[in-house]
Amino acid sequence: MTHTFRLHRGFSHGLLAIFFWLWTSVGVVSAMTQPDEGESPPPLSLDDLAALDALLEEDAQGTAPILDESAMLDLAALGVVLVFAVFSFLRKDDRLKVISLVLSVVYLGFVKASLVSVVDVFGAIRWSLPALRDGQAYYLLILFTLVSTVVWGRLYCGRICAFGALTQLMDRVVPARFRIEPPRWLDRRLVYAKYVVLVAAVLYFLVTDDTLVYRYIEPFWMFTLNGNVVMWTLLAILLLATVFVRNLYCRYLCSVGAGLGLLSNLTMFRIKRWNECQTCKLCEKVCEWGAIDGPNISVSECVRCDDCERLYADEDKCPHWLIQKRVATSPTGR
Amino acid sequence: MTGWWVRTSRRFACLVLAGMTGVVGHAQTRVSPGDETALRRLLPDAHHFALVEDDTRHFRAYAAPEAGRPLRVVGLAFFTTDLTPRIYAYKGRITTLVALDTGGRVLGVDVVHHYEPFGYFSIDLPGFPRQFAGKSVLEPFDVGRDIDAVSRATITVEAATRAIRQGARRLAREFAAAQALP
Repeated sequence: MTHTFRLHRGFSHGLLAIFFWLWTSVGVVSAMTQPDEGESPPPLSLDDLAALDALLEEDAQGTAPILDESAMLDLAALGVVLVFAVFSFLRKDDRLKVISLVLSVVYLGFVKASLVSVVDVFGAIRWSLPALRDGQAYYLLILFTLVSTVVWGRLYCGRICAFGALTQLMDRVVPARFRIEPPRWLDRRLVYAKYVVLVAAVLYFLVTDDTLVYRYIEPFWMFTLNGNVVMWTLLAILLLATVFVRNLYCRYLCSVGAGLGLLSNLTMFRIKRWNECQTCKLCEKVCEWGAIDGPNISVSECVRCDDCERLYADEDKCPHWLIQKRVATSPTGR
Repeated sequence: MTGWWVRTSRRFACLVLAGMTGVVGHAQTRVSPGDETALRRLLPDAHHFALVEDDTRHFRAYAAPEAGRPLRVVGLAFFTTDLTPRIYAYKGRITTLVALDTGGRVLGVDVVHHYEPFGYFSIDLPGFPRQFAGKSVLEPFDVGRDIDAVSRATITVEAATRAIRQGARRLAREFAAAQALP
């Protein structure tokens, strides 16, 4: 550089500038080859670099198995809950159903806090879903929910959803004298509220991209035990109201239920009814979901709780069997 | 005859000007004010920042320039969404700013943005990013081992950690390679 200066003062400045420009253009990289000041940490050694390369390889290839021990355990535990739910459903046994509900509340609720949420609808809309590596059990739950809804109806709502299971168990404990049945005309209008909630939530999400709205339209966060004062207050109000109007949230407010209700229109195996159901009101009165309206079962409201199906099978209660018996034993015969 | 001070300052101004045009020429873009604020939080001692737009899009933090000496990098930083864009958490990507020193050690982590429903009791808490500070990229960064697992927010914490780990390793490797160039 010194001999550049000797050539010409003004020219040397220009040369110097060009030289410096070239140097930075080649890369600030060369700055790194300069000896560092004392404060800089030592660069990675060759051994470190070799180790780093191995780690990078691991990261890229995902040598860590997709199914590690804890993932297998999660899948197995979820599998037990789901299989038991289906088993209790197919057996139409009330005691098995209670066990299934308890399993859901304890495991899917308080242990895992794994519930299908309106946030999953948001995720599906944006097609931004978790990596399979992180959420094998999550995907199994979603898959089961979709498939079971198409096959049998809202089985998820009736047995798997921890909050639904919780309110159903509550209903078994709370004395029946507290219960208020909403009048038929009101009930039939209120069931549409959940679709309004779903549409409003989706619109809100599309506009604001804010998923956190779920905290105020869903009580499912309660199983994470992490909420603010507003959330806990709303939950307390909801649970208190559920003491009087059973399954209040599931029937009128749940946006997931609304989504599954829409899907349930595809249901393959629906509840079969007797001819006598045209006139009999027995099941309609028993149905704690308000899903039966005269001869029709509203598939989008029915959560396959088995209450009516147990009645159909009960030869001492269901008019279908009673009439048959009377015909068989009547002196005139037929 | 111009004085020594005038000459030196003129030469210095010349150098700085040339240096700046060179920096612009070298695919280094100006750092947006928003990014600058975020970078300042993690690298408060840096004199200025530059954005390097290459395969490993990242920021470089420089020490105050000294006359006649090349600029000295005092830190690197990247957004996980740039280096590991395919890591999805429960609800999409988690935007995390990670600062490294030139020796492959994490200086700090800042969770900038995410859509995680359970983020508010996992990665949003100050305890989550704090765990990474001081870790070398050679450490495992494994949830359950050296990073705390948060029950009921597994997917979120796993994905956030994986993005930080893979991005930090990649950038540390690229930077080391660049340093080794003649």
